[in-house]
Amino acid sequence: MAEINNCSISEVAEFFEHLSPKGKNEVVSSKIVQEIRKRVSFLIEVGLGYLSLGRQSTTLSGGEAQRIRLASQIGSGLSGVMYVLDEPSIGLHQKDNQRLIHSLKKLRDLGNTVIVVEHDEETILNADFIVDLGPGAGDSGGRIVASGPLKTIVSTNSSITGPYLSGEKTIFKGTQKTVTSKTPKIELVGAIGNNLNNITIEVPVGVITCITGVSGSGKSTLINETFVPALKNSLNSKSNRPKNYEEIISAGNTKYLVNIDQTPIGKTPRSNPATYTGLFNLVREVFSQTPLSRERGYAAGRFSFNIKGGRCEDCQGEGSIRVDLNFLPDVYVPCDTCKGLRYNNETLDIHYRGKNIAEVLDMSISEAQAFFSAIPAMATKLTTLADVGLGYVKLGQSASSLSGGEAQRVKLAAELAKRNTGNTMYVLDEPTTGLHFEDISWLLKILVKLRDQGNSLVIIEHNLDVISRADWIIELGPGGGKYGGNVTAVGTPRDISKTNSATGDFLRSVVLDQI
Amino acid sequence: METITVKGARTHNLKNVDLVIPKNKLVVITGLSGSGKSSLAFDTLFAEGQRRYIESLSTYARQFLSVLEKPDVDFIEGLSPAIAIEQKGRNQNPRSTVGTSTEIHDHLRLLFARTGEQRCPRHGTPLRAFTVSDMVEFIFSLGLNGRILILSEIPLSNNQQLNELLDRLKAQGFFRVRIKGTTFDLEDNPVIEFDDIKSIEVVVDRLKITTPSKNRIVESIEAALKINSSGIHINELKEDKNHFLSKLKVCPHCDYTAPDLDPKMFSFNHPSGACSACEGLGEIEAFDEGKIIAHPSLSLASGAISGWSRSNPFYYDLLTSLSAHFAFDLDTPYEELPEEIKKVILHGSGQQKVEFRYRARNGGSKQEVHAFEGVITNFSRRYQESNEPAVKDSLSKYHQYACVPRM
Repeated sequence: MAEINNCSISEVAEFFEHLSPKGKNEVVSSKIVQEIRKRVSFLIEVGLGYLSLGRQSTTLSGGEAQRIRLASQIGSGLSGVMYVLDEPSIGLHQKDNQRLIHSLKKLRDLGNTVIVVEHDEETILNADFIVDLGPGAGDSGGRIVASGPLKTIVSTNSSITGPYLSGEKTIFKGTQKTVTSKTPKIELVGAIGNNLNNITIEVPVGVITCITGVSGSGKSTLINETFVPALKNSLNSKSNRPKNYEEIISAGNTKYLVNIDQTPIGKTPRSNPATYTGLFNLVREVFSQTPLSRERGYAAGRFSFNIKGGRCEDCQGEGSIRVDLNFLPDVYVPCDTCKGLRYNNETLDIHYRGKNIAEVLDMSISEAQAFFSAIPAMATKLTTLADVGLGYVKLGQSASSLSGGEAQRVKLAAELAKRNTGNTMYVLDEPTTGLHFEDISWLLKILVKLRDQGNSLVIIEHNLDVISRADWIIELGPGGGKYGGNVTAVGTPRDISKTNSATGDFLRSVVLDQI
Repeated sequence: METITVKGARTHNLKNVDLVIPKNKLVVITGLSGSGKSSLAFDTLFAEGQRRYIESLSTYARQFLSVLEKPDVDFIEGLSPAIAIEQKGRNQNPRSTVGTSTEIHDHLRLLFARTGEQRCPRHGTPLRAFTVSDMVEFIFSLGLNGRILILSEIPLSNNQQLNELLDRLKAQGFFRVRIKGTTFDLEDNPVIEFDDIKSIEVVVDRLKITTPSKNRIVESIEAALKINSSGIHINELKEDKNHFLSKLKVCPHCDYTAPDLDPKMFSFNHPSGACSACEGLGEIEAFDEGKIIAHPSLSLASGAISGWSRSNPFYYDLLTSLSAHFAFDLDTPYEELPEEIKKVILHGSGQQKVEFRYRARNGGSKQEVHAFEGVITNFSRRYQESNEPAVKDSLSKYHQYACVPRM
């Protein structure tokens, strides 16, 4: 049992394919095995063949959890239902994505309406009907720019999506840095974690390196579980973790390592983008300097919703009270005393330029950008947040409600706001998650800027636009699970597009178009 | 109706949007981050579909469901029942896995329980349970014309009951019993001189294995099982060889028995299947020495344990008093301290009382004699006692999830 639980779903499928029980067991098991085979095949169809059955649901990414539900829906065979999906393509390699689109179409052909919120080009191109919202984000959005089949979208001038789809406009392209044999490289020798087959990689310093490969090929194992801790060890020389690699040979001027992953920025609802980036300290400082608060003797701490003094004591500054409903999910009700404002009335008396602290927390980042433009320290922080495409997020939005991609971009912004060192290795895990073409353009500009300041970047990515704009690509594969774990291609995007690797095939069209 | 018509949607930042969406098609909604895609798809279309469904339920059922806010929209026509497949709201229960949420795990459990073979852990031979016809078959396999006894075991608690029991068996029409391998005739009113008799075997039948006697064999087996339902004993008279034919699963070489396989035994969420140490979670939350001793190369005074260095007067006082009592140097790097000292620091001094001198704020000092609780004990006590999420959060940094391999 435990062994099957640890197998990947593709392996389970194979196991049950060859399973032929004898005698009495054949009759008993045939129905059960049939059910198992059916479920397993749906999971493979939505591109989850690499997961193991024993994998805890809490450790799944949002996209994976979503695809599991999708698999069970396809299995249920209902018809006449309206399915609403939120970016199902997240975290999928182009190859797996085609399978996903296939399953969505299958769901449609069963007689269902499938509505997908999506940025992925391939999915959009495959849609029967497209709705383009815009033109901007937040307040400047919320209008339908175009709706109809692909033709209509492409021919609508005001659409920002259209030009990208028709190839008229392309995502920002910086100059590419060439990697030569003289470029210093960090060498990781003999990585063996999970499914990695004792592989050695060289990560060039001072350029953007993209790690790609089909789902389950070992990208995360290689980077998040091997490369990052290994480099951390060699930079700080301490850790008692078991090594799953032979050695790491550092080179170049890399002194710091910053890992910008998709783990949440805080476990409690008390953490938010403002507290994480340190922006909130400045906001509190500003409020404590207003005449009224000086008169009353309020210090910066008064404006924190985490400590006694200024916060509403009934909800302890959370703004909502959790009601435990036993078997139903917990319900949060707004606090009666402060009406969800998190502060007591005395604190809310203090206004800065006509807004009190609760109203500031309710501002979106773009609004705050205009509001605090006169204070340089805050303006820089807010600009970096807006630059990574987070302009629509509220300052006080609780960290637990941010998606993985948003959390990652908050971290990225916090890093960008720090003083640049020029010798840092940034590791990013799928930074384009949930981003529109236009947003990706912005993001790429930032990444290229970081590189041009002398930093190195390692990005795990599926997005072809990002891959094609990287300076160096390492592809893992060829398959997922036990069929992966090898380096299948290394080189510049142009080199890769000439190979027969999984990425190469898809990259060929993109590279030929654009270079 | 072939379309879904939305008029005047104003949820969140939507600007009074009118829209017609064809049904039974693959529809993609796209736009910049924050342009209102989710507001349209989830907060308008899905929310309204869901709300209408709930409205159609009886008031009784509705009281258990939370009231959904009506989306800010003038009207929507042609909605189908809606199912959202979101990324958020995934199951936070650590017992939920890919296998359980796809129900594959349930089928696997069933498969293992129904087709599994139980083996004796000592001999590795398959456990075997006999049905009545299996028993008959076994008896015939001993060879035709052999003479056998069919016996049934009756457990006894003490000697006193023995005579009563024998009388009762006699009254029921049994002729012989076997006690510790010796057969006694009940008609003779035997005097039995064994101490510590745990059980006796009553001879249900004595017969010769022949084809015509098959019916008699079946009846005798059933009679024997009526006396003791766990199984019957067979004695081959010629070689005096004993066999126990069990109705429960048992190893043929030893007495190892096991209950029948049940799907719940293969569940890590049920006590009969889960590892007892981690209750089936596969990991245990515990404070990790390696994380608490953040810098083993530093001395205690300079911060081997973060938060317990010179910079924190309270904990530093604790350590100073401790070092005076156990005679070690606070300036020695932690990794060079003797093992016993490390143990005291982490897990406490146990029964041993230590004289502690605390500096008070006003410059004076206070003396107390008590045992030292240890850093790890201190952390776990504070973790358990605290109600402040902030304290829990900061302490959980030192947590480590350990996997406990167990057979």
